[in-house]
Amino acid sequence: MNQKTFIKITDAFKDKLYRLAKRLLISDDEAQDATQEILLRLWTKRSQFDKYRSIEAFAMTMTKNYCYDLLKAKKSNNLKIVHNNYEDHSSNTVRQTEVASDVEWVFALMKELPAQQQLILQLRDVEQYNNAEIAEMLEMNEVAVRVALSRARKTIREALIKKQNYGLQ
Amino acid sequence: MDSNRIEQLLETYFEGETTLEQEQELRQYFTGSTVASHLEAYVGMFSAFAKAQQETVTKPMELPATTSNYRWIAGIAAAVLLTVGIVSQYNPEERYSGTYQDQEVAVLKTKQALGMMTKMIQQSTAQLGTVKEFENTTNQFIKQ
Repeated sequence: MNQKTFIKITDAFKDKLYRLAKRLLISDDEAQDATQEILLRLWTKRSQFDKYRSIEAFAMTMTKNYCYDLLKAKKSNNLKIVHNNYEDHSSNTVRQTEVASDVEWVFALMKELPAQQQLILQLRDVEQYNNAEIAEMLEMNEVAVRVALSRARKTIREALIKKQNYGLQ
Repeated sequence: MDSNRIEQLLETYFEGETTLEQEQELRQYFTGSTVASHLEAYVGMFSAFAKAQQETVTKPMELPATTSNYRWIAGIAAAVLLTVGIVSQYNPEERYSGTYQDQEVAVLKTKQALGMMTKMIQQSTAQLGTVKEFENTTNQFIKQ
């Protein structure tokens, strides 16, 4: 496989890799670098492309694993307080940051979700993959995908409704 | 669009049981211009999803230069050179070609070679002369 074919194949989904990485990583730069890294890794594996049913799904899985590794490394580097245990932290923190637009606010809400739910929401509601594809990409089963998806959506809905009520008072 | 239908779709949506087509319908409704006022809370959500899908990589992709093609050619060239070298070395007829045709030249060359050898041996035996000195000096002190 030469560079041209490779670029043609990866151009079809490289933005999706980037958006997935961006969902998990903090900065735009980090996500860009992650995408580049994944493409390089794919390039070194190009001789095995025939083995995979879908290169796109394979690349997505690689991105997920790569981002998880990055996050893990970060967590061990600087001890950060993770408040995943709090029931209702999202609306407060988000309110504090006073994000102006609703859209930005939803992005901020998404960032507060557990990593896996962020990925599922990204793959389903943004990229519009079906649950079977998502299950393959994230190496989980379809039922678990559906449950996590529903949870993620409901968390966002709760925050939205709270915000609306707060605005009416 | 019928807001009742949208409400129903939303319910199924939050249970995670809508199809992709139904979700597409929801997205179209909420990013469209007419949204029922009591459903406006969800506009942000669906517009966010739609907006998130617009983001693209801005950094150009850098792949390592494909040196593999040149390496391949270089490898073949090296192999060819090596075989040519070995074949020419192993040609048995050319192996002992260093014989003199003219007898006189051969004699002269041999003489020259032998002369060089004797010269070298003389030089080394001349050095041995100094060894005698040691004996002279020790004899002065050790009396037998």
